[in-house]
Amino acid sequence: MFDTNHMSVALKDAQQTSYPAALLTLNEPTRKSKQQCLTGSRSVSNIENANIGHEQLIARVAKSRDKAAFKAIFTHFAPRLKSYLLKYGLDGQKSEDIVQEVMVIVWRKAHMFDPTKAKFSTWIFRIARNKFIDHTRRHKYPEVSADDHLADMAATDRTDKQTETRQTSERVREALSSLDSKQSEVIELSFFKEMSHSEIAKQLDLPLGTVKSRIRKAFIVLRAAIGDQI
Amino acid sequence: MTQNNGYIPDEWLLSYAAGALSEGHAMIVSAHAAYHAEVGQKIADAEAIGGALLEDQDTSALPDGFFDDLMAKLEDEEMPEVTETTALDKSIPASLAAYLGKPLDDMKWRFMGPGLKQCQLWTGEGGEKLWLLKAKAGASIPMHDHSGLELTLILKGSYHVGGTHYTPGLVEVAEAGSKDHQPVIDDAEDCICLVVTEAPIKIHNWIGRMVQPFIGL
Repeated sequence: MFDTNHMSVALKDAQQTSYPAALLTLNEPTRKSKQQCLTGSRSVSNIENANIGHEQLIARVAKSRDKAAFKAIFTHFAPRLKSYLLKYGLDGQKSEDIVQEVMVIVWRKAHMFDPTKAKFSTWIFRIARNKFIDHTRRHKYPEVSADDHLADMAATDRTDKQTETRQTSERVREALSSLDSKQSEVIELSFFKEMSHSEIAKQLDLPLGTVKSRIRKAFIVLRAAIGDQI
Repeated sequence: MTQNNGYIPDEWLLSYAAGALSEGHAMIVSAHAAYHAEVGQKIADAEAIGGALLEDQDTSALPDGFFDDLMAKLEDEEMPEVTETTALDKSIPASLAAYLGKPLDDMKWRFMGPGLKQCQLWTGEGGEKLWLLKAKAGASIPMHDHSGLELTLILKGSYHVGGTHYTPGLVEVAEAGSKDHQPVIDDAEDCICLVVTEAPIKIHNWIGRMVQPFIGL
């Protein structure tokens, strides 16, 4: 699609799609600086300081295999992803293996990320979830196709792109802490232990219906936190 | 108890997003979402919650050289080719078409009873099964009880259970312990469904009981 080895091509392309000038100046100008990026160079810290959204960074990875942009994404997400995987109960080595595989997919499939459909954190979460399942349960996890042709109505206008990732995270954290402990418990068992409804019911010694209604109610509160509608 | 509105309840959508479903249940939920934008949106919201939880983690140190090793692996790679997905059945949800890998007509359909054929796709822990059911227009499914939860997504045709009508894209949720379940296929066309059962169904009549060991459901 794009000739990624020649900056001039990437620059021309960026200009055609009228990228902000700030982005262009942050692009790697020469092959030499690519080497710098790998060893933790100035251009990396430039990117980190510039407070560019992850959605813009991944667009640059897609367009020009921008290693500085990729490193900024890596620096932010890889250590958090490792923590998340440790919570799942994996050991350090296994967690790091999955972190690596997830980052490989982020690099390879950067062109498939669509900022009009999801935030970057949502996208990388999906990749990590599927990799985790692939590794630990050795089964497939069929994905929802955003472009499916069978939908019975136009998709709602709302996507989660309007709010910054960091803001959303704060709002979800607040919403989680606003849940009563019984509700946050079932959400944590779902997301961090990947327990099914019946597994949660068994673990907490509760009727299945109680588990389901707790998840439902918690979901309403959390959805309200990420969007402006319930 | 059978739920009647034809939409999978929201707690399934959250558990799908969290990665907490089995392969069979995840298949049904993702295929159901293909028919209803609202269901897809709720799943996307739940996945955004997952993304926020990820974002909110403390950082765990990675070994020295982790990034450099990764880049050494990646930097010489060619840009991935954009490949078109071809020859998948466009009349069913994309996630299911990819899962099956071939059109419905080319699946290996096996005898299940008069007017009924089935095709098994997956068996999970504790006897959970994902399978396709094909029933002739006008056929009655033998009356049966459920000892586990059964989710049925209609792909083609339609059927009635009591006064409730199930059409393509809708899911019938039959809870564990529901008795005397007897769907009747509508006359207009053959009905194809994607079904996930948690435990063997119990067929009432003697023919059903006789063939059950052979059909494996």
